[in-house]
Amino acid sequence: MKKLLSALVLSAIAAAAVPASAAEIVVIVSKQNPATRMFSEQASQFFLGKSNLFTPVDQADGSAIRNEFYHKVADKDAAQVKALWSKLVFTGKATPPKEYPNSAEVKKAVAADPKAIGYIDKSAVDDTVKVILTLP
Amino acid sequence: MKKQLLVAAVLAATAALQAQAGALDDGNLSISGFGTLGVAKSNTDDVKFARYNQADGVGDSARLGLDTNLGLQATYKINDWLSGTAQVLTRKATEHNFGTDLTWAFLKARINDEVAVRVGRVVVPTFLISDYQNVGYANTMMRPPIEMYGQAPIENSDGADINYQHAIGDLNVTAQAFAGVSRGKLFVSSGAGSTASYRAPAAGFSVAGEYGPFLLRFAHARADMKINDIQPINALTTTLSSAGFNQLASDITFTTGKKIAFTSIGGTMDWNNVVGQAEYAQRRAKDKVYLPDTNAWYAMIGYRFGNVLPYYAHASAKGAGSSVTAPAALAKVPPLNAAVGNLLAASEQTSDIVGVRWDFAKSLALKVQVDRIKPGAKSGELINVPAAGYNKNVTVVAAGLDFVF
Repeated sequence: MKKLLSALVLSAIAAAAVPASAAEIVVIVSKQNPATRMFSEQASQFFLGKSNLFTPVDQADGSAIRNEFYHKVADKDAAQVKALWSKLVFTGKATPPKEYPNSAEVKKAVAADPKAIGYIDKSAVDDTVKVILTLP
Repeated sequence: MKKQLLVAAVLAATAALQAQAGALDDGNLSISGFGTLGVAKSNTDDVKFARYNQADGVGDSARLGLDTNLGLQATYKINDWLSGTAQVLTRKATEHNFGTDLTWAFLKARINDEVAVRVGRVVVPTFLISDYQNVGYANTMMRPPIEMYGQAPIENSDGADINYQHAIGDLNVTAQAFAGVSRGKLFVSSGAGSTASYRAPAAGFSVAGEYGPFLLRFAHARADMKINDIQPINALTTTLSSAGFNQLASDITFTTGKKIAFTSIGGTMDWNNVVGQAEYAQRRAKDKVYLPDTNAWYAMIGYRFGNVLPYYAHASAKGAGSSVTAPAALAKVPPLNAAVGNLLAASEQTSDIVGVRWDFAKSLALKVQVDRIKPGAKSGELINVPAAGYNKNVTVVAAGLDFVF
């Protein structure tokens, strides 16, 4: 029990100590998607299961870019987002976004689907996708 | 020993499922789950505190059964618009040991981006958190306040529902309507405790509006409850009939099917670290039946300090009259008159709840909650009460680990 507790405390400290990365994040859609610009509140709707108009494509659970994205568009930390999705998943209302391991894979998935919306590191952008929002 | 076994079983099930999911996963199958490992005790053995429809409550020794559960869910995406989902939930309910129920099992068709239809078994969204009340991780509080959630006996229904989602500017509107037949067991707490089975055609709807961090929801549901085997009630109605009170007996009984309506308004907020949840609901008999009309409400307020969220809540259940009026002649038979009078009265109770949720690691939350229960009429919602009733306050302390995977 003591071991478990100290493990818990240690992991909590470790989680709190992860520094936020300062890279710019951009929200991207496929070239075929007619959208040209979007507000961050709108973008958050797709990633929080509130709209099905676009299909969200997510970064890896626990990654710095994912934590930063949700913080910037919805002011929510990873646990809040997970709690929100568990409401939707376990009531059969929605399935969580598909996850990809890095910006290159997210970009590939978004480029391939006209309804997809994703977010990647600004430095990973190329002409296969369209940037509709930049998060400073 | 029992506890260690359970923990081991939960861990083994989780590991096995993940291994299996990996093996089966062709990209269209997703397996997920949720659960709570909780332990609770109260400060007395004179009465027991239980969740709604639980046969075993907690007394003055620590027990796992109050809050511990495990839900497993599989969803298979058949194509872009059609999917199938099944969920089983293991917990302590109307039996004296852990049992597993099929809580959800439906085919879902996405008609367009805003409308989805589900056919099969769905959980009835009677109240604000009805359809995710067993998912500890999705809730701030340790368990749904029994004052409110004890009003509705119906858990799921076999039929269909339709879900609609539409944005009007920054306002997200969702609506849901369902119709089906609900079947299930009820724990009858009077005497030594027994179980009864009900069958109820049911239908209802809910409408919710979400504006940024604020959500407001209204819901109405009706069920035509038919219960043949509530022993204590059947014994009473048999006696009433044989004493010549046939009308009263047929007014009281559930054996012929009686309509009950549930109406609720509730909301949640998560605004600048202030987390709130409140709800008010009424249960009304639409046919004459012994089940009393009730009004219930609760309000919770919390504040998020990083990943630590302390909260306070107050909950209340009160009687709102009865659909049945006993004939004046019944007064001439005092024991029957007393029994009927007691049956038609609602149990009343309030609770003060303080707790804290700590999101200490990925997909894990630790909760500690203290409930101070003040039973009113008919010993409130407490079970295993002494024959003379119980009106002393009861304190329940609980700790639980919520997880999702």
